[in-house]
Amino acid sequence: MNRFLPIILIFALPAVVFAAKVEMPEWEETASAEEYKLGGGLWPTASKSTDGEPSSTEGAVAKSDVAGGAETAEGSGETKGQAVKFYGPAGEVVEVTPSEEGEKQLPNPKADGNELLKFPDEEVAREVPIEALPPLEGKLADTYFEHAPMDFLIDPQRLLTEQKSNDIKRFLEFHSDESNFHIFVMVFGETQKIPEDIDMRKLHKEWFSETPTVVMLYYREHPEMTELVFSDKVSSSLPKSVFDRIRQNCLREGAATDLAPDQVEKMAIELSIQLYWLTRLMAHETTEAQSLAAEKSVHEMAASADAPELLREYAPGIFVEVKGRKVLSIVLTTLLVLGTIVAVAFVGWGILWWRNRDRVAGKPLLFPSFQIVPRLGGEFSGGAFVSMSFEINDGSDFAG
Amino acid sequence: MKCPKCLRPVDHEAESCYSCGYSELEAAQKYGANQVFLNRIHDAAACLRKQDRDELAFALDQLEVRFPQMLFCAYLGALPDDLSMSELGFWLLNHGQVKGAEYARPNENGILLILDMNTKQIGVSLGYFAESLISEEEAYRALLHARPHLLNAEYGEALEKIFFRLAKVLRKRGRKLRKLSHQELQEQSRVLNNKLLDLPHHLTPRVKPEESQEATLRSA
Repeated sequence: MNRFLPIILIFALPAVVFAAKVEMPEWEETASAEEYKLGGGLWPTASKSTDGEPSSTEGAVAKSDVAGGAETAEGSGETKGQAVKFYGPAGEVVEVTPSEEGEKQLPNPKADGNELLKFPDEEVAREVPIEALPPLEGKLADTYFEHAPMDFLIDPQRLLTEQKSNDIKRFLEFHSDESNFHIFVMVFGETQKIPEDIDMRKLHKEWFSETPTVVMLYYREHPEMTELVFSDKVSSSLPKSVFDRIRQNCLREGAATDLAPDQVEKMAIELSIQLYWLTRLMAHETTEAQSLAAEKSVHEMAASADAPELLREYAPGIFVEVKGRKVLSIVLTTLLVLGTIVAVAFVGWGILWWRNRDRVAGKPLLFPSFQIVPRLGGEFSGGAFVSMSFEINDGSDFAG
Repeated sequence: MKCPKCLRPVDHEAESCYSCGYSELEAAQKYGANQVFLNRIHDAAACLRKQDRDELAFALDQLEVRFPQMLFCAYLGALPDDLSMSELGFWLLNHGQVKGAEYARPNENGILLILDMNTKQIGVSLGYFAESLISEEEAYRALLHARPHLLNAEYGEALEKIFFRLAKVLRKRGRKLRKLSHQELQEQSRVLNNKLLDLPHHLTPRVKPEESQEATLRSA
């Protein structure tokens, strides 16, 4: 038996090897495997098709979801013959006809998820679903206009990111602490409009009758539509050109970026700076003071010590004067110390010079005579002598 | 005090050096017993420029006005090897006659600066009266004060500095003496004269003046 065992093993082992399989995880049900969405649904549905040909119907449904939930809710069922609307971030509507649909259809990636990374950015950006905003009616309008705002940033629809909202709120609070001119920012969607029955000036008068306030009406990603509502008292006290300039500056800052949170942030900061100057203008209502103030730039004004770092990014000029003052104080202190040292040294040198000076002038000095006994036979001198060598390599020689 | 020749200490009233027997007679035998005329600034080495000499002369004029009793003079020369500066100073003060200061400023009030260009040495010889006003330490300090100028070969400035520094010492000394009464001055003079060294009597035979004159004539 032992003799046949190696022969059996030689024939049996390859068979076992070829029969072995790697056990892979399997879905319990086939249906659940199809429902699985790579990336938690973040990727377009069409791109997950495994048969290589995206279903036009599914794609249409998905795109119609992008277009608006209302249509989907009606269950109208978009067909191949109907145009599908795409709404980009800027509100651009792209018409896709059925003939183009085949050309514009997304590439068919393989089942491997890594292939999805090769999608062009433009395509992915187009596919980001943006929910259409409801019109400002009913309860939504009430959240804006029913009561006086308690917060400086009014964004009940959460159109701005949370972090930026907090930053802007923090800045607006800081501004209200520093300035008497408060800023309220209302954020609307780009497609939303203030109802006609709502008069912002009237509301402004009703809400902020006591304190000077400006309400900035901002439309998402459309800074050019921004409106500034000042109180009648303020508007009447200064010429219209001042307010136009303020609005232009704000719009210029807002147009510097594309993202809505950044636009609001920049415009709020610029508005804050402009309001500071507006307050100065209102304080000096004389024509001379106005013209003098108009010549100066707001960036020459110094920010307070507790100004947020957010300001430093957008308006670094207002921190310059503080830095300059600090440098000036350091320079002055250094000069003062150096001057003191020099003065002390000069006085010390003067004292030393006064003590060591070889003064000859003065009254003639007569010495009393001494009776001295001669020495070494010398009639006038006894040989008193002191000498010194001044050879460079020789030490001094003292000899008496 | 020290012997100009051997630099050993000598008694205040010693007629000759206890160690080497040196005295003025030996100096007279060696260098001559006659009187020699000196200028206030005797530049035998010709190392002073005219400007330096004029400035130094002006400084000496000022000093003579300030101290009418004192004699300020300087000798600059290249001394031979066998002539020491201390011997030359001793001999010059005893045999030299500075022009223009014959009677008003005797040599015992003299302060003679000697500059040897060969050995690069400078020294101060003092007469009896001058040595009672200026101590050796003060004289040495005055020399040190001019050392930078001497190293830079600015001999005129160096001599001027030394004279001024010695004048400063004289001024201080005069201020102190003015405060003393006559009795105190006499006491001080007595103290100066009593600075005797407790040394044994000199055993070498004394040289008589007649013998020294004969020796001088013989050498001449």
